[in-house]
Amino acid sequence: MKILRSWLQDHIDIDSSKLSDDEIADKLALSGTAVEEVTNFLDEKIIVAEIIKIEPHPNADRLQLATVTDGTNETKVVCGAPNIQVGQKVPFAQLGAMLPGNFEIKKANIRGVESLGMLCAADELALGDDHAGIIILPEDCEIGVSISKILHGDSIFDLEITANRGDCLSHLGIARELRAVLDLPLKENLLPLPIQSDTPKLSVSIDINSGVEGCYRYSCIGINNITIAPSSDLIQSRLSALGLKPINNIVDASNYTMIDMGHPTHAFDADKIEGGQIIVRFAKNNEEIITLDGIKRVLNDSDLVIADQKKILALAGIMGCENSIVDSNTKNIIIESAHFNPITIRMTAKRLGLSTDASYRYERGIDRNGPDAAIDQVAARIIISAGGEYTEGLSAIVNDLKPIEIAIPYDLIRGLIGIDISDTHINDILVRLGFQIIDEHIAAVPLWRNDVTIWQDLAEEIARIYGYNNIPRVALPISDAPQKASYYQKEFIKDTLVDLGFSEVFGYTFLSENNLKTIGLSPDSLLEVKNPIQIENRYMKSSLLPSLLKAVAKNPTFDPIMIFEIGNVFTKETEKSHLAIVTSGKNAKKIIEEAQKALSSQLQIDTELLPISELSRDELQRYKIKKPITYMIEVDLELILSRADLPEDRLKLNISDKKIKYRGVSKFPAITRDLAFIIDNKLSTEDMITEIYDISELIGRVELFDEFVSDKFGKNKKNVAYHIYLEHPERTLIDNEADLVIQKIIEMVKSKYAGELRDK
Amino acid sequence: MIQKGTLHPVTQSIRKAICFFESLGFDVFEGPEVDTEWYNFDALNVPAEHPARDVQDTFYLTDGRLLRTQTSNSQVRYGKDKLPPIKVVVPGVCYRNEATDAGHETTFYQFEGLYIDKNVTMGHLFWTLENFYKFVYGDDVKIRFKPSFFPFTEPSVEFDVKFKGKWFELGGAGMVHPKVIENMGLDPAIFSGFAFGPGVERPIMVKYGIQDIRLLRSGDLRFLKQF
Repeated sequence: MKILRSWLQDHIDIDSSKLSDDEIADKLALSGTAVEEVTNFLDEKIIVAEIIKIEPHPNADRLQLATVTDGTNETKVVCGAPNIQVGQKVPFAQLGAMLPGNFEIKKANIRGVESLGMLCAADELALGDDHAGIIILPEDCEIGVSISKILHGDSIFDLEITANRGDCLSHLGIARELRAVLDLPLKENLLPLPIQSDTPKLSVSIDINSGVEGCYRYSCIGINNITIAPSSDLIQSRLSALGLKPINNIVDASNYTMIDMGHPTHAFDADKIEGGQIIVRFAKNNEEIITLDGIKRVLNDSDLVIADQKKILALAGIMGCENSIVDSNTKNIIIESAHFNPITIRMTAKRLGLSTDASYRYERGIDRNGPDAAIDQVAARIIISAGGEYTEGLSAIVNDLKPIEIAIPYDLIRGLIGIDISDTHINDILVRLGFQIIDEHIAAVPLWRNDVTIWQDLAEEIARIYGYNNIPRVALPISDAPQKASYYQKEFIKDTLVDLGFSEVFGYTFLSENNLKTIGLSPDSLLEVKNPIQIENRYMKSSLLPSLLKAVAKNPTFDPIMIFEIGNVFTKETEKSHLAIVTSGKNAKKIIEEAQKALSSQLQIDTELLPISELSRDELQRYKIKKPITYMIEVDLELILSRADLPEDRLKLNISDKKIKYRGVSKFPAITRDLAFIIDNKLSTEDMITEIYDISELIGRVELFDEFVSDKFGKNKKNVAYHIYLEHPERTLIDNEADLVIQKIIEMVKSKYAGELRDK
Repeated sequence: MIQKGTLHPVTQSIRKAICFFESLGFDVFEGPEVDTEWYNFDALNVPAEHPARDVQDTFYLTDGRLLRTQTSNSQVRYGKDKLPPIKVVVPGVCYRNEATDAGHETTFYQFEGLYIDKNVTMGHLFWTLENFYKFVYGDDVKIRFKPSFFPFTEPSVEFDVKFKGKWFELGGAGMVHPKVIENMGLDPAIFSGFAFGPGVERPIMVKYGIQDIRLLRSGDLRFLKQF
């Protein structure tokens, strides 16, 4: 939801508060309206500059060449405005500055002279309509600073409105929030309908009898003898600034009013309505319509529509139909303004995949008093720009406008929040939010707040205006920890495996059709996802092994591969926690046997409970594993743990304090080099690896693959050998670049470790 | 020459979190990943046709059940046969049915906390979260709380941490909604409580500068062996 600061100013005098955009954004965020972004129309690259020289343009009488300074650099620009003089401070848009309307300042050649920027008039900065001359800034402005510090440009607040706060989807709604937060009054700015000597009757009657389940209130007013034309500049520019396309003075008035006060309305061409009646009813099954977007839609009997005696005119609360569209020939219109059932609108919008600004607001609940308030505003706005005279209004009403009343439980509110706040202060906050206080202890909820129904909702209102961050913190009472859950036993198993050199992997839960082929598994016993957006997410895995084996295939440069996972697996009837271990490559058999032995001794269980199997040649191929041997274990953890003897005092959570300097992982192929050095036996290879990493960002991995002491290298000397993997994050690395890094590593080891490179 | 292996970074950060809550006497519960609509939505005061269900794109199964969209499915599951004080944390995998990219993932962890007792206030919730993040990030950490909306909490809270000068969203929390307390079989006139559910992966990504969330489940040992 986008809000224009200048438009907000129509409803509340925020400029008088002297708050900057960021301060307003903070106030909104801390009171519950999340702010995604604030965009000032005045780019940082538009700065205050002083004119130090003016020369005539050699090729154009009406242009001048101005030299301006920002205090450091001087720049020449071509300027057409007559009002500039040496010594003036002016807004100067530097190269690269974005002007309102997404206009970028670029180097330009104006009648044979280069211009490196632009001096700005008011309209160019969206600060008014004045295009006659450059804005002359006060003499005491500091030069070089951003113009946004001096001039109050307009800004757009991009807000994220939570699903419960449909009432905030308008400028009025946000103004109401700011009223409560800033304690400023709202302005009275409703447009009055002009006085007419004679008010004709509306040309239609309204029948909502067959639609009452979906429609609580339906109001119409007609305007006759209008002139279709473009809207005023103000309406057009405000709509454009917020991303809405201006269409004509009828459609724009409806859109403008919706963005202004939150209530959607719709205009029909009155002469296209047949039979003198507007009927709100549910559609018949398979009834067809063409909506304004030109798409044919097939309806069913849960879709609410607006119809005349012959045809459907609109999909209620969502979109009108082409058959009743206001076009350039329209003379008479009927405006509808209604309160539809949010669930009815939501179901139709969802089923048809058609979400509009109107349906979005109806779904979230509109101001119950909105239909009548909005219809007069739209009509008044249309008459201002399209002329014509309004008819009598008509309303069909099912709902009443009685507010919900909640007795305010002051003590419970204080208790739930944990603050010491007086009854009067609570009442005061509620009044600022538009509540009425009856008999000093009952809150009447404003008609636009459909989200407040219980006293806890009132507590939230109090807390958010009081300020969450002003609530005093209170320590939790400490109690004894309960018996350790199976979580701790799983972590114990993880530690056992990590100590042996295994790495923990998290795989995805899902299997695709392709995965099933690789595994050689029928989907019959698998849980199936009904609505996967991505085809990979069709079935739920019944074993941890497929994703571990995929990981083996994906890591060809590691040898041996030692990985495990603890996670849940599924069948149609069960969800179980499993442990799976996979080893592949060098010594794979020996390593998995060691894992089996370690687990059985740590858990005090038989090794037979942890059976090892080998992946067949055929499976190796299907998984595209290049290593010749792969072993695995997969067990039901619940079963294992039920047999295990694992006293609680052994179940401590180990926390690693390892300092990690994360290195990104490249998608591009690595270059591998092996380096072997002779170094002193006492030196640590771990330190050496850290220092090697520090040499270049291109070093993706340093792997020690050999370390042994032998007298043939000299006394107390050892041989250490590393695989060095070099990769570039954004492209394929070339050999020369790798060589340079390798050279630096050799030099570093030589100077810091007195290490001698071994020739292979 | 045995080199130690590596624990997944998510495992490491959940362990650290549990260490803190263990010291306050919290239990650990994992709860099912496949659950019913009742525990995942209805029991949590999310009605069938509420737009709040739009926020979470749910994986439904052909048997009518679903993959939990949040660890909050365990609130009523755990709370329903317990007497207060109820103190539990729920680390677990949750699912979101969406197209994945560097910032979006179908499969992710959440770390839920639930505390129900007499006289629980927002002050208790804020104290708990503040001290938890001090434990995780050090005493200088700055946390702020903002009003928000979740159907299962009232009042609702969103909390941010300041990281490198910028506020960064950690997750949601709030005072447990009276209907949820009722669904646990407890009287909301007597008991109140708080719940919170920060994500796990994002803070890890911010801490280490990991650009692509999918790396966490890639099985890429170049990535995993760094932790």
